[in-house]
Formats: sequence, structure tokens, C-alpha cells
Amino acid sequence: MHPGIIFFLVILGSVLFHIFTPWYWTDVASNWGGMDDTITLTFWVGGGVFVAVCLFMVYCVFKFSYKEDRKAEYKPEDKKLEKILTWATTLGVIALLAPGLVIWNQYITVPKNALQIDVMAWQWGWQYRLPGKDGKLGTTQITNINENNPFGINLDDPYGKDDVMVQTDVLNLENNKPVKILLRSVDVLHNWYVPQFRAKMDAVPGIVTYYWFEPNKTGEYEVLCAEYCGVGHYAMRGRVIVQDNQDYENWMQEQETFSDLVAKQKALEVEKTKLAKK
Amino acid sequence: MSEDFNDNKTIQAQSSETISGGSGASPDMDYVRPAEVGDQDLYHGHSFITKWIFCQDAKVIGVQYFLLATFTGIIGLILSWLMRLQLGFPGAAGFMTAEHYYQFVTMHGMIMVVYFLTALFLGGFGNYLIPLMVGARDMVFPYLNMVSFWMFFIAVGVLLASFFVPGGPTGAGWTLYPPQTILEGTPGSGMGILLMCLSLILFVAGFTMGGLNYLITVLQARTRGMTLMRMPLTVWGIFTATVLAMLAFPALLVGALMMSLDKVLGTSFFMPTILKAGEVLEYGGGSPILFQHLFWFFGHPEVYIVALPAFGIISDLISVHSRKNIFGYRMMVWAIVGIGGLSFFVWAHHMYVSGMNPWFGFFFATTTLIIAVPTAMKVYNWILTLWRGNIRMNTVMLWCLGFIVTFVNGGITGIFLGNVTVDVPLSDTYFVIAHFHMVMGIAPLMVIMGAVYHWFPLVAGRFLDEKLGKWHFWTTFLGAYSIYFPMHYLGFIGVPRRYFEMYDSPYVTSATGMNEFISLAAFLVGAAQFILIFNIIKTLKTGKPAGSNPWKACSLEWLTPTVPPEHGNWGDRLPVVHRWAYDYSVPGAKEDFITQTTPPSEVADTGVEKT
Amino acid sequence: MSDPKIEGYVFKPGFKGMAQDTGSDQTMFKGVHWGKAMMWIFLLSDTFIFSCFLISYMKGRGSTLIEWPNPSEVFALDAFGVPVPLLLIAIMTFVLITSSGTMALAVKYGYEKNRKMCGWLVLATALGGLTFVGMQAFEWSKLIHEGVRPWENPFGAPQFGSFFFMITGFHGTHVSIGVIFLFIYAYKVFAGHYDEEKRGWFTTMKGNYVEIEILGLYWHFVDLVWVFIFAFFYLW
Repeated sequence: MHPGIIFFLVILGSVLFHIFTPWYWTDVASNWGGMDDTITLTFWVGGGVFVAVCLFMVYCVFKFSYKEDRKAEYKPEDKKLEKILTWATTLGVIALLAPGLVIWNQYITVPKNALQIDVMAWQWGWQYRLPGKDGKLGTTQITNINENNPFGINLDDPYGKDDVMVQTDVLNLENNKPVKILLRSVDVLHNWYVPQFRAKMDAVPGIVTYYWFEPNKTGEYEVLCAEYCGVGHYAMRGRVIVQDNQDYENWMQEQETFSDLVAKQKALEVEKTKLAKK
Repeated sequence: MSEDFNDNKTIQAQSSETISGGSGASPDMDYVRPAEVGDQDLYHGHSFITKWIFCQDAKVIGVQYFLLATFTGIIGLILSWLMRLQLGFPGAAGFMTAEHYYQFVTMHGMIMVVYFLTALFLGGFGNYLIPLMVGARDMVFPYLNMVSFWMFFIAVGVLLASFFVPGGPTGAGWTLYPPQTILEGTPGSGMGILLMCLSLILFVAGFTMGGLNYLITVLQARTRGMTLMRMPLTVWGIFTATVLAMLAFPALLVGALMMSLDKVLGTSFFMPTILKAGEVLEYGGGSPILFQHLFWFFGHPEVYIVALPAFGIISDLISVHSRKNIFGYRMMVWAIVGIGGLSFFVWAHHMYVSGMNPWFGFFFATTTLIIAVPTAMKVYNWILTLWRGNIRMNTVMLWCLGFIVTFVNGGITGIFLGNVTVDVPLSDTYFVIAHFHMVMGIAPLMVIMGAVYHWFPLVAGRFLDEKLGKWHFWTTFLGAYSIYFPMHYLGFIGVPRRYFEMYDSPYVTSATGMNEFISLAAFLVGAAQFILIFNIIKTLKTGKPAGSNPWKACSLEWLTPTVPPEHGNWGDRLPVVHRWAYDYSVPGAKEDFITQTTPPSEVADTGVEKT
Repeated sequence: MSDPKIEGYVFKPGFKGMAQDTGSDQTMFKGVHWGKAMMWIFLLSDTFIFSCFLISYMKGRGSTLIEWPNPSEVFALDAFGVPVPLLLIAIMTFVLITSSGTMALAVKYGYEKNRKMCGWLVLATALGGLTFVGMQAFEWSKLIHEGVRPWENPFGAPQFGSFFFMITGFHGTHVSIGVIFLFIYAYKVFAGHYDEEKRGWFTTMKGNYVEIEILGLYWHFVDLVWVFIFAFFYLW
């Protein structure tokens, strides 16, 4: 069998695999459909180039296989052809890059009305903090973290008092409301990643990183850690539940604020001292 | 150091001497300037030790590099088998804990990128081919060159020693990101990471010695008539890659040193305030992202340190076996140089989602996609070299074709990942794994194999067996393609990389079958590499003798007076070069190739266009 | 001190001519000794190492939360009861720059085959380097005595100690290696190895006064780097 046939079958197989693959992306559940579009665009342009180049190669292999009496062409350079190819490639690259940069610009421009959510990561788990009625998160410090202050909120920061604390790995989000995820890590790098939302960003200890998205499909999604964070990396999962306004409000009502927690702790201490006095 | 520059012992006579039986043409045509530098003073070893172990002959050093790199590569291969075993058939290997898995991932990555590919291309092919291809007697500093290899040897030894220290080798991923890397709880966070850093520092030191040799040999020790634009592309590729290495490895050295200090002395270069197991550690104020910048300032040029020699070598192989000049030689040279230069301005495309200033994304996405243009030009020129050629469908050509398919595939997926927006959903998933294995694992491997089949007759004087070679090629190519092509789609689903297992996730369960298939293919491809080893052993005993210039190539390395070439390469007299290395199928010439040493007067009535 | 005149080679004028000369056969740098070209490229590589150190230092200093100590106080030295800022460092810099001067003279006398002068000047350079290392050791011990450590610093940000010891230590290692080689070369000059082109101990290649110049390149580089370290640590 001529090797060209096998190469041809490989190219054909790749295209067929792409068309019929049962493994493809999950339905997008956020505003980042644009990312899918750029991927599709890149697929069309890049895939086209791949198929064209490989088929041309296969053609050459068939057509110009070694024959004793054939003499290859002698043509060291072809300035015109090289120029055409360079410009065509440049245009193709610009066509791929431009939409990418436009969407990146959206990605790093957070809408003003986005709800800020503090996502705190550690080896190996997540917890979340939402702003209270004042709409602002209190400042934090890792060194403040203790049993009574699981997020390390600065006690003298008035904005922190009414912060809503979600001390599980399940986060509820309101459908069609943009959120700005503020990522914090207390130990190593992590990455709060929901495949359906497409977006991701590393959580880096020492700084606060961010990204934003707007969920647009109610449902329950899995959160994966997407930056290697040690032997428990693969098990570092969480959940996001995207709900409609009413359900979300209900859930919000049930949550505990920082001042609730402080009050509870104080009450406990008072109890303790009372017990001790008795 | 080197021989005395002022003491030109034997200034060679002018080139008119080389004219023999000129067809009545004027000898002036063949004029080549006399030698600027006297003949190189070489130390000829006599004992077994100075001839084969502490040898100063670049060819022997090249083979030593090749063998040691291959040995390390086989260890990397075995580690990859173990990883695939776990991923395809979780729990099949009873000893495989998450700790082990991550250690294997880390060591596999580091071994393959640095100790296998870099050492093989630059140390192996560079040492063997540069002096031969530019017409030098040896590398310019043979002693330093020997020390370079033995530093590499020690570096490998230190690296492998980390398997046997308490805690085992480091398991922080080959990128060694702090704070992870040196924190208690990460596998190998004690001795393991220190040995890794030490090994890298030794490797860089050793490589610097070799790299200086490669650079000066190319710059200052070419033979008469060998202008820069007559050098084979292999030399251009290795030369440019060495320049990159000389400028990129410093960042790795500095990163490794600072990391070691963080570990040993408790400095906080990369360590912020950390809360671990309820206690605040003594570190504070450092920046983990700084390390990422240092690492990728090394890491991205490193990709091209591997790729550029591969580009160069494949250009030569395609040209020889298509019996046609490489199309657009000058474009190829400038593409290599341009890619090399640009590669220093793209590093942060590995860090789009690392938490660095997001505005960098615009800059690095643009530079990254600009690199796609010269790279694409190279691909066009390869296939245009095939066009209207006279293609020998032998094993070497098969590897070349395999390279084109895998490289274009991996290059295109590189455009996905370089374009910052597309990278966001795909980064840190299996798409990345598939991409870089295709483009800098399989594609360079195809080149290495092609180069081995091509130059083995030069090194050993015998042809490798074609039939075994074809088996080797097809299992490797089809197997490797079916490992990495489907793997992209795991990435689309969103499966993150570096997961020890994750079979309870709803949308990943569907991919179990694919994982098993990939693992089986990986076992097969790995095993197929032993065909080569068998082939080499068999050939050394019973292979067909190759004789001189068996592929009818033009370039200098085939034109030595003895095959395999002896120490000093050229016998009494250095060759004189009159043309570029690609005069194949020149109209009017008697044969379908004109060697680089053929003087113009001998081919006066042919249609030679370029010299 | 290379001779740009190569027999049979005429340099071409203009930019195009320069490109042709660069791409011409045999050598790119006409008449430049292999060892010298090697040292230049090695130094280029070394420049990248020091650049990485200094850029890391700038990043570290720029992003630290605790205030950076004031260099004119930390590095002050008591002279007759009065703290004089940067006194020691001024002397150190002076000594090192002077040793560059003696090195340059040594190269000149080397090419003139003036064995005695060359040898004494190499030796003087070595002693200058040794003095520098000695004073640096003194400064280190003074800082350590005051409580500065690589991992902590009583005057402010702990990164100050980390970067200071690492970078000056790395530079000091360069100086020390240079001093060792200077002593060896001084011996070789006095023993006449370069006059009689004696073969090297390890490399078995013939020696020549050009080696003095190569070592000189390294030595000037080490001085130049010091100027940058001086500016970044002591004047910023």
C-alpha cells in the first residue's frame, strides 16, 4: 500500500472524528458564548489550514514519488509566491486574533453592577463570602483567620460586619446577574473553574485575583480546581447552584452574617463563663 | 584554551589547487580566500579512557550525549506508562498513590523537556553535526566540550538520585510553581526539590560550556567558503536554539537558586503569608507570580530550543530525500532567526489565567500570534519542497511526513491557546496536554527518529533496516496520533490536567472509554520504540554497509575522507566550500546533486542559480 | 587587541557591506580570537543572570508590604564617631574600579610581551579583588551583627536581607573566582608560560597572552555589574 493512502486516511479520520465525536464541550451556561464562537472560528480557519496542508502533502507524495528518470524541479526561491503566502497567513492570523482581543477586553472589564463574591481556597476546599446589605465586602487578612473568623475579616472594618458567610463548598448564584469572583488562597495556587461557565482564573496566595461572568442557565454545576495544588488537587471540587431570583432570595435569607457569627460566639462565651461561675 | 591565533602554522594554499580536471574554465572562478586561522591543534587520545570516556572528540561527545539522553528518555517513557496505567485503569497498579502519580508526572515532564529533548538536539546532534557541517576539525574548545558532557552526566545522576532520597522526587509538577513546591505536604518537598534545583543548575552550567562551543564553532570556525548563507538549515536551527538557550537558561538558574534559598534558608522570594493546617508559616511578602515569570521566560524559549533544531534537521531531510533544494532557503533562515527572537516576547501566554495583570494578555496574545506567521511559512516551504520533487518514500521520508502532520496539528492548536480568549476555557485542561505533546513531544520525536535513520549510516557506516524502520514508524505515528488527537476533546469537555482520578464527575464519566483507549495506545507506542534499539543492535552486527555519501547528499558531513569520520574529520586538508548545501537536480548537471565542495568551473555549463 | 586586517579580506563600506562582512565565510568577527568571542558570549549570558536577579529585586522591593530600609542608614559606617553614609561602599567601589585599571594595563603589557610588568599588574589586580572581597566580608559581618539575616531584617522588609545577601553573594562569588584565576594567571605569566606557549594543564592547548585579555574581559564585566548593584542597592 502506498504510504500516502494511510496519511490520507489519518486526515480523513481526524475530520470525521471531529464531526462525529461524542466528546465535546458542555452547553455554555454563562455569557461567555463568545469564547465558544472564537473557538469555532479558530476551528474553521485552523482546521482548514491543517486539512489543506496535509492534503497537499499527500498529493505531492502520490504525484512525485521517486522515479529513476524523473528530475526534480530546480527553483531555489519564488519571491512572489512567498509574499502571497506571508500576507495570506498574516490576514488569517489577524482574523483570529481580533475577535479574541475584543472578547478578552470584555473579560477584564467587569460590569459595575456585578455582585462581588469572595472565593477563598485552601488545601483542599472552598468557601464563599458575599457582601451584605451595604453591597461591599470587608477587607481581610490571612493572619486574622481563626475559628471565630473563618475568612480573616479585619474586625475594625465596618463593611465586614454584615458580610454573608457561606461555609460550605456550595455557592448559590442568581440567574442572569453578573458576578465578580474575587479569588483568594491561603496556601498554594488554586483555580475556581466551572467548565460550563468557560471562565477561570488562578487564586494566588498573597494577592486577590478576579474574573467575572453572568450565569444564564439555572441548574447545578460542578466546580473543579484547575491549578495543581497538591495531592488533593483532583478531589478539590465544589458546587454552584444557579437559581431564579425568588429561590436565590430565600437561600440568601438563611445565610449567616459575620456579626451573627460574632454574636453567637459571644453568647457561647457568656454561657461558658456562666457555667464556670456556677 | 585554544590554539594560538597568531601562529598560522599551515596557511592553506588557495583554492586553485582543488581544481582537478576543470573543463577549461578559468581557475579564477574557483577562487576562495585563504584561511584566516591556522589549522586547529587537537589532542588525540590514545588510551581507552581518553578515546571513549573522557574524550574530546565532538563526535564521540555527541554520541555520549545521545546515549545518555536516550537513557533518561526511556526512564521518562516508563514514567509515562505508569501515569497512563493509572489514568486508563485506575487502581490497576496497587502501589500507585496520588503522591506517586504526581511525582511521576513531574519527573516525566522535566526529564523529557530538559534532559531528553534539549540534551539530545543540542548536545547530541549539535556536537556531532556542527563541526562536520561547517567544515571544522572539531568544536573550538574540545576540553570544555568534554566537561560539558560530564556536567550533564552529573546533572542526570543528581536528578535520578532524587528517586532514592527520603520523600522521593519532587511532585510539584514540572513547572515547579511555588509555594506548592516547597511546602510540607507536597511530595518531595524536602530533598526532592533541592536535588531537582541542583540538577537544573548543573545542567545549565554544563550546557553553557557546550553552548559556547556550538556558538563559536559556527561563528568563528567555519571552513573556507562556508558563508552564513551557505550553512545547512540544521546548523542554523541548532545555532539559533543555542543562542536562545544561552539567554533563557539564566532565568531558570536564577529561579532555581531563589527557590532553593526559600527552602533552605527560609527566605521569602516567592513565598507570601501562608496559612497551613491552621498555623501561619514564617514566610511572608514574596510573590509566587515572580517565579512563574522567571520560569516561563526560560520555558517558552525552551520550546523553541527544542523546535528550532527540529525545524532545521527536518528541512535538510526533506530536501535530501525529495532530491530538491529546500524551497525558499533565505526565508527559512530568517524564519528561524525571527522565531528565535520573538520567542523572548511571548512567555506570559502560559500565564493568561495566572492572576498576572490582565492587560498583559493583549500584548502577549499579539506577539504569540505573530510567531505563527514565520512558523506557517516554514510549513509551506516544507510542503513546497515536496512539490515537483522526486520523493524517495523511505523510512526517513516517512518520519518527515509524520512530522509535518503532527507539527501542523500541534501548531494549529497552539493558535487556539495563544489567542488569549480561547485560552481561558482551555488552559489547564487536557487540551493543553494534547497540544504540547503533539507539537513538542511527538513532532520533535519524529525528527529525532528521521535524523537517526538518516545519519546512522554516517555514524556507524551501515544502513538501519528499512523494514523494521517502517514498522517502527507506523506504530509510532499512528499510535501517537491516536493518543493525542482524541485527547484534545477531553480538554473541550473541560477535564483539568494533573488529576489523579476524577471518574465521578458527570461529564467526564463519558470519557472513560477514551481514556482506556489512549492508555493502550500509549503502551503500544512506548513499546514500539524498542524496535529502534533492536534495529540498531541488529544493524551494527549485520547491517548493509553504507559507503561514502549513501543518500547522495550535498552537505559537507557526507564528504569526509573516511566513513565514519575520524578524529579531526577531514584528513590532511580542510574542505573548501563553493555553494549552498541544496544543489539537487540542477538542470544540466550529470548527477542529481552537486556537492558543496564542487568548484564552479566543474559545473560551469549547468543552470546553477544560487550559491 | 585583535587585528582587523585579515589577509585577502577587505571590509566593505556601508550597511550592506557590513551585512556582507558579517555573513562572509570562515568568521563572523574578523580576527577575533575564539577564546575572546567565547568570553563575550558567556558574559552576555551572565548579563541575563544578573538582570534576572536585579529585576526580581526590583519586583520584590516594589511589592513588599513592609517598608524597605533606608540604605544610607543601613550601610553607614562610623568614622571617628560620625556615621558616614556609604563610606565603606565608596572605598570598595574605588578599589574595584582601580583594579580594572590595573587589569587593562596588564593586558597592554602582555601584548608587549613585557612579562614582569604584566605579571605585577595581574597580581595587583588580584590583590585589589581580594581587598574588595575582604571588605564585602566585613560589611556582611557588620550587617549580620546588627541582626540582618537572609530571612529577617530588623530595619524593615525581610526581603532586603534576602536580596542583599543573595545578589552581593553571587557577585562576590564572581569576584572570588576572578581572584583565583588572576593568581593562577599571575603565576603563569611570571613562569613564562605565555612566552614559551606552554600547553595548559588541563586543556593541553597552547597558552598565549591573549588569555590575559580574556580574563580582563571577565574582570571588567564583574566591575560593571558591581556598578549596577551599587546603584540599585545603595543609591535607590
